Amino acid sequence: MTQFVQQLVNGTVLGATYGLIALGYTMVYGIIQLINFAHGEIFMVGAFAGLSVWKYALPDSLAHNGWVALPLVLVGAMLASVITAVVMERFAYRPLRHAPRLAPLITAIGVSIFLQEAMRLNYPNGRRQQAFPRLISSGTFTAGGVTIPWVSVFVVVTAVGLMIALQTFVRRSKTGKAMRATSQDPDTARLMGIDTDRIIVITFILGAALAGVAGVMQGMRFAQIDFRIGFIAGLKAFTAAVLGGIGNIAGAVLGGFLLGIVEALATQYVPQGSAWKDVWAFVVLILVLVFRPQGLLHERVART
Amino acid sequence: MSRVARFRLPLLAVGAVLVIAGTFSPWATRAFGFPGKMTLSGFPGGARIYALVLLPVVVLGVVDAGGRRRAGLFGAIGVFAVGAFNVIAIANDGGGVDAVAFGAWITAVGGALLVLAFVSLPPDRPVPSEWRTLPAPAELAIIAAFLGLLLFGVDNALSVNESSRFISFLLFAGFGIAAVGGLGLFGWLQELFARHRQVALVAGLVTAAAFPFTQNGNAYWIRVFASIGVFATAAIGLNVVVGLAGLLDLGYIAFFGVGAYVGGLLGNAGLSTMHVHVPFVLVIFVGASISALFGVIIGTPTLRLRGDYLAIVTLGFGEIFRITANNWDGLTRGPNGISGIPGLAVGSFKFAQSHEVFGITLPYFANYYFIELLLLVVAIIGFTRLNSSRIGRAWVAIREDEVAAAAMGVDTIRLKLLAFAIGAFLAGAAGTVNAHLATQVSPDSYTFLESILLLAAVVLGGMGTVPGALLGSAALFVIPEKLRSFQDYRLLLFGAALIVMMRFRPEGIVPSQRRRREFREEGAIGASGAAPGGPVATGGAT
Repeated sequence: MTQFVQQLVNGTVLGATYGLIALGYTMVYGIIQLINFAHGEIFMVGAFAGLSVWKYALPDSLAHNGWVALPLVLVGAMLASVITAVVMERFAYRPLRHAPRLAPLITAIGVSIFLQEAMRLNYPNGRRQQAFPRLISSGTFTAGGVTIPWVSVFVVVTAVGLMIALQTFVRRSKTGKAMRATSQDPDTARLMGIDTDRIIVITFILGAALAGVAGVMQGMRFAQIDFRIGFIAGLKAFTAAVLGGIGNIAGAVLGGFLLGIVEALATQYVPQGSAWKDVWAFVVLILVLVFRPQGLLHERVART
Repeated sequence: MSRVARFRLPLLAVGAVLVIAGTFSPWATRAFGFPGKMTLSGFPGGARIYALVLLPVVVLGVVDAGGRRRAGLFGAIGVFAVGAFNVIAIANDGGGVDAVAFGAWITAVGGALLVLAFVSLPPDRPVPSEWRTLPAPAELAIIAAFLGLLLFGVDNALSVNESSRFISFLLFAGFGIAAVGGLGLFGWLQELFARHRQVALVAGLVTAAAFPFTQNGNAYWIRVFASIGVFATAAIGLNVVVGLAGLLDLGYIAFFGVGAYVGGLLGNAGLSTMHVHVPFVLVIFVGASISALFGVIIGTPTLRLRGDYLAIVTLGFGEIFRITANNWDGLTRGPNGISGIPGLAVGSFKFAQSHEVFGITLPYFANYYFIELLLLVVAIIGFTRLNSSRIGRAWVAIREDEVAAAAMGVDTIRLKLLAFAIGAFLAGAAGTVNAHLATQVSPDSYTFLESILLLAAVVLGGMGTVPGALLGSAALFVIPEKLRSFQDYRLLLFGAALIVMMRFRPEGIVPSQRRRREFREEGAIGASGAAPGGPVATGGAT
């Protein structure tokens, strides 16, 4: 029983990261119906940028003070992710906005490979795994026989906080309203005086900022990153988004947590589970797409 | 701009004189092993010949024919690129700018002037839609000449060993072909090939079969070309799925892997977990059929999905295949894979031996090259027949608008499944041959990146065409082999190439006739303002 609860906790932590990345997929899909394959790489760029801030920009005295270092690392990661995403949107996706759907999809794959390779070739010693600092206490605490690292607490609290903030932003703010309008009907939104190009950029920015935070979290939890982390994390996050109902913000969060828990439990209880750990996400994805393609909470996108 | 236009002819004359003077002058001040005897004056050796040969093409741009701006501009850019690249390469290899002699500078400046001369020309009028027909023997002679030239060019290109010179060659060939293409020559050639399809196919086969004889017993390029053949067969299969039916399959390499594993397991490999030996002719069919079966199994639930979901699900299946192959020790021997796959033998003819034909030694890879060629021909015939059949038209209809196609009575699910199965069948067949060519099969040869490589070959070459798939596969193999120092940047460049192609030429290097016609029609409609999103959008690549 303890083990079961332990895996539930592990899955929740895992799912928090998936959920954060999934939000980027879901928002972009909701607005321009594009599966942004390169979103996983935005997450990877965030992780590397966070590491760089800690390694190269912070003086030693500050680097070991988590209260100072962590916010700076997070800001650096978000900044790098956002800049990458904006450049990507401007030069790769925007020219193809009215092209047939296969074209931006292939472009997205190209961007994804390009970013991975650029990181591998240009980051100092980029082919190797990079050690990532814990930034906050590496200690754990025990509650009812379940061991929980403090890092995990930070991850879940931050993720949930950001998710609530995003949901509030989209529901309450004027820009959020414009985003919802654009997602329902871009042409009419434009007629109503909404600058849809600007809204699309804002969507990319929001998604990228969350992915940047998720990148730092991933680094803190596993204590290492490499240029490949974006690919598999991106796929799982996409699965989470589809599971919850793509285009649906609450759905992405729910899908993220569910997928994390499924993965943790399957790894524990299926024989030889860890060898197959990357398969579960795909199995879930295929089952969802076949039996409930609209996702658990329904797509929120207005179909045209 | 109009001021430049007035100086066009003087610019052109000065540019041409500079280029001629430059190519006959030394390009390097000292000898340091830069290819092409660049320190000598009075003859256009090394990369200099490329700039010189492009000059007549540039001059064609002055002749008032269709495509004059394109011919002139691309030719001029080619001259400039060859000159400028060599300035950089010589300065880089020779340890400083002082290693660059005035000839290279003059050529680059001359090229720049030529570019300036053509930039301001108005866009070309569309190439005339009526292709000229010649008497049949003349047309056949042209086909033969073209294929001969191709073989000569390939042999020539492969004999260029130095990276810097090969890049010069690529710049020359790329811009030169783009320039000549501006005159409508390639559209005409494509028409010619279509008109004499059977003759052209046989002639092409003969040309390809002649290739091993040009290699003087050297196995290296024959081996590479055998791999290209395998790859191209799979690429044609993928072309059915992506190019014709418009289904983006990102896990396509899995079907290739299924074929390869069947080839290894049934081919009496030393480390096979099944101790059977099935004749190779059967193995190809079994491998291809099992692969097609997988295609149907995977396709049945997923082909109902929207296109972009399909991409992710196929990617998922590709990964599941790789992970399964990695973990199923009892069948696939896990990460070790299956090695020791023996060379083929039909009767007493051993494939893994070199043979002597007409006094020319053919290394043993030539045997595989010929098998592969046969398979490729089958794939090409299958592809072209399907493409021009009722099924092919239905696929295109599905690609363009699935809902409309279904409304017109096209059984979309069944036809998509058929495309999927045919693609998988070809990949499986290619996989079984590859198992014997590589003598081993292991899971890490079937990663996502391999799927992307195949997709890149199809996309770059031209979706929905055979020459496109062939050209794409050849380029993706030969260029990295030639530019060893760029090996590390290979994927980076492919990624960039995918982005750039989608942006500027989504129909690929060799666009299909159907797309070409669509383009031309759209040009007419677009004039009355009916085509939304401009030519890139409507002529795009779904």
